[in-house]
Amino acid sequence: MSFWRLDTLFLAFLSLLALLTPLLGPVNEAVAPPFCKPLWLDHESGKPLSLNAKDNSLSFTWESKPPKTFSVKGTVTFEDVPKSASLLLAGPSKTYKLVDLAGYRNFDVDIDSRDVPLKLFLGLSPFVDVSSVIFSERGAYSLFIASDVKAHVDLNLNIYTGKWGIFGTDQRGRDVFRLTLAGIRISLLVGIFATLIASTLGMGLGLFAGYLGGLADSSIMRGVDVLLAIPTLPILVVISGVWGRGLWQIVFVLSIFSWMGTARVVRSLTLSLREAPYVEGLRALGAPTGYILARHFIPEAMPLLLAQMALGVPGAILAEAGLSFLGLSDPLMPSWGRMLHEAQVFGAFTSGAWWLIFPPGLGIASICLAFISVGRRFEEMADPRLREMAER
Amino acid sequence: MTEEVASVESLTLTFDKIDAPALADVSFCLNEGESLALVGESGSGKTSLLRLLLGLLRPTRGKVRLFGQPLDDVGGEELRRIRRKCSYIPQDPFGGLPPTLSPLQAVVEPLIVTRPNLKYEGTNKAKELLSDLGIEEALWNRKLVQGFSGGQRQRIMLARALITDPKLLLADEPTSMQDVSTRMDLINLLKVYLKNGMSMIFVTHDLLLAKAMTLRGIVLYRGRMCETGPTHLLLRDPLHPYTKALVSALPKLGKPIEVKVKRRPLPVGFKGCPYLALCPYGFDRCKDLPPMKQLSDARSVACFMGDTSQGT
Amino acid sequence: MMRISSLSATYPNGFNAVKKADLKLSSGEILALVGESGSGKSTLIYASLGLLPKGSSVSGKVFFDDIEFFALPKEGQRKIRWKKVSLVLQGTMSSFTPVLTIKRQFLEAMEEHLSLTPGEAMAKAVELLEEVGLEGNFLARYPHEMSGGQKQRCAIAMALCCDPDYLLADEPTTALDVITQAEIMNLLKGIAKRRNMGILMVTHDLALASSTADEICVMYQGCTIETERSDIIIKSPKQPHTIALVRSLSMMEE
Repeated sequence: MSFWRLDTLFLAFLSLLALLTPLLGPVNEAVAPPFCKPLWLDHESGKPLSLNAKDNSLSFTWESKPPKTFSVKGTVTFEDVPKSASLLLAGPSKTYKLVDLAGYRNFDVDIDSRDVPLKLFLGLSPFVDVSSVIFSERGAYSLFIASDVKAHVDLNLNIYTGKWGIFGTDQRGRDVFRLTLAGIRISLLVGIFATLIASTLGMGLGLFAGYLGGLADSSIMRGVDVLLAIPTLPILVVISGVWGRGLWQIVFVLSIFSWMGTARVVRSLTLSLREAPYVEGLRALGAPTGYILARHFIPEAMPLLLAQMALGVPGAILAEAGLSFLGLSDPLMPSWGRMLHEAQVFGAFTSGAWWLIFPPGLGIASICLAFISVGRRFEEMADPRLREMAER
Repeated sequence: MTEEVASVESLTLTFDKIDAPALADVSFCLNEGESLALVGESGSGKTSLLRLLLGLLRPTRGKVRLFGQPLDDVGGEELRRIRRKCSYIPQDPFGGLPPTLSPLQAVVEPLIVTRPNLKYEGTNKAKELLSDLGIEEALWNRKLVQGFSGGQRQRIMLARALITDPKLLLADEPTSMQDVSTRMDLINLLKVYLKNGMSMIFVTHDLLLAKAMTLRGIVLYRGRMCETGPTHLLLRDPLHPYTKALVSALPKLGKPIEVKVKRRPLPVGFKGCPYLALCPYGFDRCKDLPPMKQLSDARSVACFMGDTSQGT
Repeated sequence: MMRISSLSATYPNGFNAVKKADLKLSSGEILALVGESGSGKSTLIYASLGLLPKGSSVSGKVFFDDIEFFALPKEGQRKIRWKKVSLVLQGTMSSFTPVLTIKRQFLEAMEEHLSLTPGEAMAKAVELLEEVGLEGNFLARYPHEMSGGQKQRCAIAMALCCDPDYLLADEPTTALDVITQAEIMNLLKGIAKRRNMGILMVTHDLALASSTADEICVMYQGCTIETERSDIIIKSPKQPHTIALVRSLSMMEE
């Protein structure tokens, strides 16, 4: 059976993306107005525009509906302190003075069309939508500086139309596509680490319980019973209240509450292996317990363990998603569950903003399916009967 | 004066909650260089006997001595030392080999466990043993879990047992899965080691094989000794009805098999002769346990009928 | 008469287990198919009933009386199995479901192939058990409550339930002790004579074959190399492999 199939390729691809996450840049920053629809979804609004003005003036045309918002950011440097200077935005029929630059040599411009001071400066009521006023006409526009002194300009004009990016933006204006990609890393980290720790713990305890028997076996198994009876969620709520919310807190709790299944399975395996004639022969030769466990039991348990791990990862991912969905995770952590949480809390479900729900949801589902498929293959390796069924 | 290698005295083994004992009142003695057959079918207690000899089980009553040391007296390091002089071939070829190793690794393993410094010479010796036993070189490094037949596994188990040059070999049906033509390879290899002074306890249900491998034999039925004596005499002139049944049940080339047995269900907790379950004779007397009667210097029988040696 | 003519069988992995084998089984007689492990003897009987795993290729002809088996449609083949020919598998453990009593397994087999009322089926089951030397109350037992020999007798009884003309038995006595083995062999002899059934028995034990069977067919590496009456083949084997087998046996006996 070749190693590279759809599921392993998919997971390898995701891991690559997870590694490249830092290249995405800061994910938690707002890049556009909140609740923008994806570019390909909205056909009515115009395309968002992003222009940079290095000369004194910048000309462009606007041929569609008035945009949602616009912003002008940058610096203006005068050769000398101007006595009168201003930043103007001229439309086909009217010209608007956006800001007064007189009296300063260097000016940092930071204008957003939602700013109330701007509205007052333009003589409009604080509740008016500035961009619909300024961009009410279609035609040629230009942004320029009018001053009595020469000016050097480095301004960015961004016009936002309510569409942005591949998946739009969320309630804070963050790019959902980048958030989704960043979420891969979180899911993989939580899933893999929690399962790794739980499996190692489970295997160690299962081996000891099975091989040593007696008091060790009973005490470990009662521990298993107790932990199985404790509900994970309330404990996690308590822990998140006491220790704060964070990635590693979640990993810790998930590990503590998932090793029991593996321990039981490994224990049964050890119990049956222990009775094998070759083990008796080795004991008769005087082989130490540690040798027998390390050289024989662990390799025999490996396929089973790998299967358990591969099947445990979806569980951990879903658990983390669930916890985040309930709001118990770090708000700054771009996890898929968190995205779903915010989508629900901020009304995406009711307003029909499905582009906020599908990416994280599909992400969770597909990563879980990939791991289950890989886990199924490990199970086939461990149990020859399943292999025959697969080959038929 | 040859040393005693193994001996058991009035050995009895009862498992919890099971009425009938696995072994009852078994006694024998094995000296250096001797080979002894334990003949019996499944349920006769022969496998438990081997495990008792190695100290893997504790007897309910009776004594076991290995190389002169009583096993209940000895512990820890001394026990390990005596055990290392023995080798055990289990009956099950599928459970008797570690599935995650290859044949080469499995054969070298006993050396690694007992004398780790001999690993290099051990590997060469292992390769020699494997070729002698007909396992091709191409198979030496394939993992055992990947499919070896029962016959091949038995040969690997034999190599694994012989690599430590044991003083005492405890073999439980080591050739049961071999074809008639390949059986001779194993038998001949064992004979080489026997000639070099190895002692052997050979468990089998096949009287002919016992005769080929050993000089003395003990016939067991449901944990009790029925008859002891030189193996060729057990075949030629069996005294106990069970031995007679075993001999007549052997397929002889060209002759039909005629076996005289009468199956009787025995009540639970029956304290008489266990062979009453099959014995074609069966007198009232047999409700009491027949004692083991010593006939000549090497023969003894536990049957009320064995008082006189009957011709056929 | 059951006749196998030029049968070849290859497993899905490409292994050619049987090469142009020929066989003739007469009613009322026992034919032993003798060969070492890997000689293809088990494959031969499964192939002749069309029971090899999917993907295997089988060529040649098999005749039960004058019916050519492979020429029949699937449904026709099903009817032949159990009614004209029945099979006793190797390893009595596999013949039985551990969670059902023998009675259920018997009745299931009979309901499948005959159409009897439950009363008739029960009566027949008891009759068959007595024929193989077991008491009728065995029907209430579970497989794990019986010894190996008893299970094998049950398997034979089940194979007889549709009164077949031929019985194919794959290693019927491996894992049984010698005494039980002798009893089963004598049972098979009696059944062959009483019912005028042809029994084909696969075994690796030439000695056992020679004391039970009327005719012996030796297989070696997939080919049926020699077929002869059992007394003749022991006294004067012709093929080199047969000679070797007979010789190693006589060596053991003396």
